[in-house]
Amino acid sequence: MIKTTNLTKKYGDFTALDNLNVEIKEGEILCLLGANGAGKSTTINLLLNFIAPTSGNAYINGLDVVKNPKKTKPYLTYIPENLMLYPTLTAIENLDYFLGIGGKSFSKAELKTFLEEAGLQQEAFNKRVQFFSKGMRQKVGIALAIAKGAKVLLLDEPTSGLDPKSSNEFGELLKRMKNAKVAILMATHDIFRAKEIGTHIGIMKQGVLKHYFRNDEITLQNLEKVYLETMTLNNTAV
Amino acid sequence: MFRYNFKYELKSLLRSRWLLLLSLLLLIVVLFAGYNGKEKVKERTQELKNVVLESNTNDAAMALVLDSIESGLQVSVNPRRMPNAPMNVAYNYPRVAAIPVAPLTFISTGQSDLFTHFIKPSAYGDSFSLDYSELANPIQLLFGSFDLSFVIIYILPLIIIAFSYNILSEEKEYGSLKLLASQPISIYQWIVQKTALRFFWLTLITLAVITITLLFFGFDFKTNFSAFLQLISLVCAYILFWFTIVLLVNLVVNNSAKNAVSLLAIWVFVILIIPAVVGQLANSFYPIPSRTKMITEVRELKEELSSKQDKILDNFLRDHPEYASKDGNSNYSFWHKYIASQELVEEELKPLISSYEDQLTKQQNWVRLWQYSSPAILMQQSFNNLAHTSTTHYQSYRNQVALFSKEWRNFFKPMLYGNKNFTTNDYKKLPSFTYEPPINSSVLLKVVVLLIFSVIFIFIGKQVFVKKIKKGTIIS
Repeated sequence: MIKTTNLTKKYGDFTALDNLNVEIKEGEILCLLGANGAGKSTTINLLLNFIAPTSGNAYINGLDVVKNPKKTKPYLTYIPENLMLYPTLTAIENLDYFLGIGGKSFSKAELKTFLEEAGLQQEAFNKRVQFFSKGMRQKVGIALAIAKGAKVLLLDEPTSGLDPKSSNEFGELLKRMKNAKVAILMATHDIFRAKEIGTHIGIMKQGVLKHYFRNDEITLQNLEKVYLETMTLNNTAV
Repeated sequence: MFRYNFKYELKSLLRSRWLLLLSLLLLIVVLFAGYNGKEKVKERTQELKNVVLESNTNDAAMALVLDSIESGLQVSVNPRRMPNAPMNVAYNYPRVAAIPVAPLTFISTGQSDLFTHFIKPSAYGDSFSLDYSELANPIQLLFGSFDLSFVIIYILPLIIIAFSYNILSEEKEYGSLKLLASQPISIYQWIVQKTALRFFWLTLITLAVITITLLFFGFDFKTNFSAFLQLISLVCAYILFWFTIVLLVNLVVNNSAKNAVSLLAIWVFVILIIPAVVGQLANSFYPIPSRTKMITEVRELKEELSSKQDKILDNFLRDHPEYASKDGNSNYSFWHKYIASQELVEEELKPLISSYEDQLTKQQNWVRLWQYSSPAILMQQSFNNLAHTSTTHYQSYRNQVALFSKEWRNFFKPMLYGNKNFTTNDYKKLPSFTYEPPINSSVLLKVVVLLIFSVIFIFIGKQVFVKKIKKGTIIS
């Protein structure tokens, strides 16, 4: 569902992403760990075609994202670190707007169902989102993915700044999405959450994917150890 | 996408109270500007009414005296005002040559602060072009008039800037742009639609407010519908021009603070600097000779000619034997000499006056040529044309008055030299002045020019967008 082949992004002499080769199939969650500037967000931006790759390719559902931007986007939903919605509109209106401009129209009852499925409290449906917490806004983002029938979910540090309860709820939502055969790529700093929900875990440093594990191949303790070692070691291939 | 943009942009604007604020602000400012303009027009109309009334009263008194004289009655009138002497009528009972108020005069004061609106050209003196009895206080000229044209040309762009300077950058800074860009839409199409919607709402409010103002101040839409259409097409094109600039700056700069500064700099450049430079260059390239110097020269010339009036009269009578006295009486009055000298005075003054007029015409042509360099000049010229307050209108009026002045003098000439009395019958034949406005240059051309500017900005905006999307700097 998500595939990159030798995906590279350079800004002058600086290499933000170096020959990334990953594949995430339906019902898989790849959690990319790494410090700031490791290339996690660059990977997501390339998959969203927000920036053009220097070389290599990125595919969503078998389609090259550069060549088919409008064809790949109906399949995906993106939730950034801070999902910003229109503050003067309600949750339902925001959902209706983002779906509507993409060509998908739903009744109010259907929109409410999507928000319910995403775990948003009913009393918040008709409230302006300017009063929403980050966790509530992200639930609207998940509702957007559910409504779009997204096959791909791209998450850029979605749990940073969330309290443990909200973070746990969000993790549960992702598991449900995974069970619904959605391919998920999540960039995160949260090793515990990555181990808990990821089917695969990658560790990135300076634009290079240094480690790639299946979840059952590594324990949380070892993952933390490898992560810390990777972050402190000099930049050598592993 | 358009349906959803329309629906939710409207909701957002209503909930943020932008539309309400805009409507109120524009209504207050435009109504006040309309009131200001109307007050000036009212003052001018009243002044004209008074002058016409005074002239009519004088005429009625003259007709009465004339009738008494013709009936053989004794009249007690100052001999210098006795109406049976043709030159007394020519001097004491001039007609009013006025430039009337046009239906849209109140929207643009234009040059009306600088020029007079009525003249009473009599047989004596030709200095009507130097008549500035109605000249406004120069302090007011310094600051300009707060009329509708001022509001539209100067203030409306500032409102557009305040309304939309961050139309794209806000989305980027707030973080919603990434969510938008992850939808299967074209961000360029989206921003164009959003700008178009703001253009639509602001234009709608502005036109509504202008229409209300015109209605409030008694504008007759039925008879002046064409002028109204021209006015609103100019306003729409001007608003579009500014919105395309806002769009372009959003695409090029894409940072709210920098957008605001850039747009204000553009406003200063387009509205203040270009017109000032064009005006200054017109003065430098085609300097107008000193008016004081001209008046002094005119006086010197007249003095010189008046000392030779006997000789001039001889020459005049040689050139016009039909005016020579048949009974050999060579006792000619002041008027005989004065009227005889006028042809020569006009001839001698022609180069002096025309050097002034020529420079003025060259300046006007220069401004007319460079009006396309700034929409502000273009709009001011168009508004003045619609309001009949342009320099062209006043120049045409002056020329018409000059012709009328000659016609007035010539009417009395045969009576003066033929030693004939002025009669009631002559009174009925007195020439009168009717102002004919010059043919206005087409507003359509100016609207087209503004549209061309807008299309160019949209085109450049698209190129910038494509480049920035490739670089990835629009969204990230």
